[in-house]
Amino acid sequence: MSKIVIIEDTEKIREELKTFLIRYGYEAVAPINFENIINDTLKEEPNLILLDINLPIYDGYYICREIRKISDVPIIVVTSRDTEMDELMSMNLGADDFVTKPYNTQILLARIETILRRVQGSNIRDTLIYNDLKLNLSNGSVTYKGKVAELTKNEIKIITCLYKYKGKIVSRDDLMDFMWNADVFVDDNNLSVNVARLRKKLEGLGMQKNIETRRGLGYILP
Amino acid sequence: MSIKEYLKDRTVFLLINFTLYIIISGILLLININSKVILLTFCIWFFPILVYIMIEYVKQKLLYNELNHIMDHLDKKYLLTEIMKKPENIEGKLLYDVLRRANKDMHEHVNNYRDRENEYREYIETWVHEIKTPIASTRLIIENNQNDITRNIKEEVKKIEEYIEQVLYYSRSNNVSKDYLIKEVSLADLVKRVIKRNSRDFISKGIIIDIEAVEGTVYSDAKWLEFIVNQVIGNATKYNREHDGRVTISTDRNENNIVLTIEDNGIGIIDKDISRVFEKGFTGENGREFGKSTGLGLYLCKKLAEQLGLGLIITSKMGEGTRVKLIFPLGSVNLMH
Repeated sequence: MSKIVIIEDTEKIREELKTFLIRYGYEAVAPINFENIINDTLKEEPNLILLDINLPIYDGYYICREIRKISDVPIIVVTSRDTEMDELMSMNLGADDFVTKPYNTQILLARIETILRRVQGSNIRDTLIYNDLKLNLSNGSVTYKGKVAELTKNEIKIITCLYKYKGKIVSRDDLMDFMWNADVFVDDNNLSVNVARLRKKLEGLGMQKNIETRRGLGYILP
Repeated sequence: MSIKEYLKDRTVFLLINFTLYIIISGILLLININSKVILLTFCIWFFPILVYIMIEYVKQKLLYNELNHIMDHLDKKYLLTEIMKKPENIEGKLLYDVLRRANKDMHEHVNNYRDRENEYREYIETWVHEIKTPIASTRLIIENNQNDITRNIKEEVKKIEEYIEQVLYYSRSNNVSKDYLIKEVSLADLVKRVIKRNSRDFISKGIIIDIEAVEGTVYSDAKWLEFIVNQVIGNATKYNREHDGRVTISTDRNENNIVLTIEDNGIGIIDKDISRVFEKGFTGENGREFGKSTGLGLYLCKKLAEQLGLGLIITSKMGEGTRVKLIFPLGSVNLMH
């Protein structure tokens, strides 16, 4: 499990962000005391740091620079300052990414995921395994008991999303949001068609029990 | 200043001289002095006066011509006293000093307002950044407690964010240079970012989006561009039809510019309104009908586009749709590879 340290002085945001990240399967730590923030953070040995800029005692730029002197841990700067200048400044100080407050939480998650994947090597999330179904993200194919089928870009996105929340119902709206965030701008009808095709492909491989529709609620990969 | 005007100004002086001369010639005539002597007196009397008037005229003429010339070529007219030569005659000196004093006072006055405006602008900037913190926590709280109620709140929060962004860009729109940064911007990435921001509107209204033909890069400030494109795409979804709505975005490369075209098949803009859509506070028929218009969006777009050196053109047909073109001139700044 990846460990994320949240350096943020607004209590509400700190706590909610912690809850949010834990919900999405990360281990989240949010220090409250800022006097020894640099040492405290590094002691946690995080996989990633979310860093606010306006902080008591030391500002985020300073912290970023100091951490960089000691460690290569990925840092995402999260700030309400939103000009290109601020972005450039953060990058120059060694931050890996820059997200503007109030962030779109899905985008924040996507950025965290991207950076972690880059740092931890790409082998972790290249293949998704669900029961006997193997999804290869790098070449877009699924394998079920030795049989292989190619998926389209849209189908891959759908199954990735359902896989992420496996065992839970994903509403059409959430699925749509997920797709749009991944640059796939499908409309309502298209989504139904894509899901139907995907289901057919999986059935074609002999996987009888796959994506289920829960009327009025959404889809689920049981 | 013509010679006639100048002479007219000296009428009293000349009249007094003439009267004196006539009186004196009368006296001279009475005591039987030769009329030639009287004529000679005239010459001795009036020749120097005429010469004096001519010299003064030429001097003044030159001075005022120079002043006019400076004024015509001066960008900031109030700097006249800094540029002009200090006059040597007493009247000139007096006027010059008075002018300088008036100018100085005016400068202080203007500075006062400038300081106040800067202060206000800074306050707005700070305010915008402060308000973003509670909004960020609100969003996270919504995210952590998802249900129908919070989903509705999320929609409203998104609107608040849009209005706040407008405030920020409004306060910045008079002074773009302060925080802009030119870099390479991929138009496809830009358009995608904006579409994602508006994804809820596209999805809920079932608007089909076509961005196949968007390609290329330009050099500009990404944030400002995003604001402009966001306003335009926001309008394209807002003033769209209930069914079969479509937004098509494309780029064209011409010999000396790149054009980003955003086209919708929505309700369109009535002819009499189209020429005024960039006016501040203008809402028009559509604004009245939809009731959510501030009349600031396109005004700001135009203003920012001008500051960025971009063209912004809008054409529309009532009931058929609207087409907005953002034109990036291919110059030293907005180069494309």
